[in-house]
Amino acid sequence: MTTEKAEKKPELIKVDIARPRTYKWSSGKYLGRVYKEALENKKLVANRCPKCKELIWQPAAVCGRCNVEAGEDWVVMSDKGTVVQYTYLVFPLWDPHYGDRLANPYPTATIKLDDDGVFLVHFLEERDPEKLKNVKRVQAVWKEEGRGRGLGDILYFRTIDE
Amino acid sequence: MAEIMQDRVEKLKDLDVFVYHGKIFIPNTYTAGLTGSRFLIELRDNKRIMATRCQACEQVYVPARSVCKYCYGQLTEWVPVSDVGTVETYTVDGHSNGVQPMDPPIIYGIIKLDGATTGLVHMISGVDFEKLAIGMRVKAVFAEKRVGSILDIKYFAPLA
Repeated sequence: MTTEKAEKKPELIKVDIARPRTYKWSSGKYLGRVYKEALENKKLVANRCPKCKELIWQPAAVCGRCNVEAGEDWVVMSDKGTVVQYTYLVFPLWDPHYGDRLANPYPTATIKLDDDGVFLVHFLEERDPEKLKNVKRVQAVWKEEGRGRGLGDILYFRTIDE
Repeated sequence: MAEIMQDRVEKLKDLDVFVYHGKIFIPNTYTAGLTGSRFLIELRDNKRIMATRCQACEQVYVPARSVCKYCYGQLTEWVPVSDVGTVETYTVDGHSNGVQPMDPPIIYGIIKLDGATTGLVHMISGVDFEKLAIGMRVKAVFAEKRVGSILDIKYFAPLA
């Protein structure tokens, strides 16, 4: 049995945790349609309630307002909208899906789409705090290659003059 | 089980389902610490499993730890333990999830090495499932290329 004392300058071992955890799930008929249309056609779709005639976002089998089966009255929504409110968090964020650090965080805004009653939370392209105050009308800019993430396939909303 | 799954897959084919492929990837690094580092370096350089010993409590800890869990005394006495041990308990994991170090099915076991008083959690491989038993004798199989990780022990194989 040997007895040894720890060395003065010991080597330290680093433990790396660097394996991605992959998972998949069926997104179902309604949400699946959103992902599919965004990926293949770069369009945002919602279904319309047969009773209140309002758009359901995110699309669902049942209208939350009327509690009736919503059906498949699909509508392609406008990709233009109006900024309702925004916040500019100057802080580096992690993308939890890919572990990348988001180098250029964009201001986050609540955007009211031109279709009634649909509000989205997304990024704005405009990063100048002074100009941000005047941003009213915006339009979606899609990523060149989507990943089938629905709203996540939109890069940000760009300011438009109207 | 496989038939049920196949049946479900067949049914899904007719539906217009969209499969969401997700990935969670948060790479991170931490230090194994002074004691942990020494334990891993011994595995890497000398293919030797080292333990720390508490004389007062008559404990030999594998993997090595710096503080005795009974008397909270600092452990500075290092002793080598055998690479042969006894399976205390085990479980068979047939599920694949991409973060496991081996292809499933994986047998995870707690192995009490000769000379140690605590069990080491590791994998058991190269054994027939019928012969798998608590109390069986296993021996550490070291990896050819060792990097200073607990996986420098590839797995424990049954002693012939």
